[in-house]
Amino acid sequence: MLTPLAVALGAASLVLAVWSLVGAVRAARPSGGQLLLAAALEVGLLVQGVVAVVLVVTGTRPLSTATFVGYLLTIVLLLPAGVFWGLADRSRWGNGVLAVAAVTTAVLVLRLEQVWNG
Amino acid sequence: MRRVDGTTGRRGGPALSSGPGRILVAVYAVFALSASFRAGFQLVTDFSSAPLPYVLSAFAAAVYVVATVALVRSSERSRRVALVAVTVELVGVLAVGTLSQVDAADFPEATVWSGFGSGYGFVPLVLPVLGLWWLHSRRPRRGRPPVG
Repeated sequence: MLTPLAVALGAASLVLAVWSLVGAVRAARPSGGQLLLAAALEVGLLVQGVVAVVLVVTGTRPLSTATFVGYLLTIVLLLPAGVFWGLADRSRWGNGVLAVAAVTTAVLVLRLEQVWNG
Repeated sequence: MRRVDGTTGRRGGPALSSGPGRILVAVYAVFALSASFRAGFQLVTDFSSAPLPYVLSAFAAAVYVVATVALVRSSERSRRVALVAVTVELVGVLAVGTLSQVDAADFPEATVWSGFGSGYGFVPLVLPVLGLWWLHSRRPRRGRPPVG
């Protein structure tokens, strides 16, 4: 796995989480900057997913491939779902949803690394 | 079509998935998904090694799925379904949490509810409490029009 990419993704998730939390506390709606960061993060997650799939297909496998693929699927789908669910609520709670999605993404990036390294 | 972000649920009563409920639903959805993955994986790969925890994993997953769907729907009936699901969830996490401490031999493999959800930052313990509070604070008032 690309550990530097995973570290960057984890850090970006945490930045998005803090940003969203601050927005929620200040009773603001999610901003364009947050959505841009979320989009960039999602692109990074997709790149990581493609790299992981290529590695698995070419024979470098984590100890538990099924668990790994489960995490991979969840990680790629989670943020878009969170943005969709969060933006439908035009209040501070939309930011709260984004924060939850971002924190979960950070945790999943970490777990993905752990599962890969066994 | 019903507005997803509306403040009233179907047939009266405030919606359960607006305001703070939106976060609650998001967290429930995450747990429904991850518990389902975990249970499915456990049941398919090595059910025989620890049948009891794996069955409990599947049960927990089902409870999360039901609670998530019920909270999103917010109809009169799904409100009751949500109440039952969240109550079962609270009893489940307390019972399994206690069992996993007392009788560790029966729980060689972790479930979502083992150790009161310690593997998930104790969110499984806090979630049903928040759920019950939320259902209580957004209960429909009799004889009054629903308040948004």
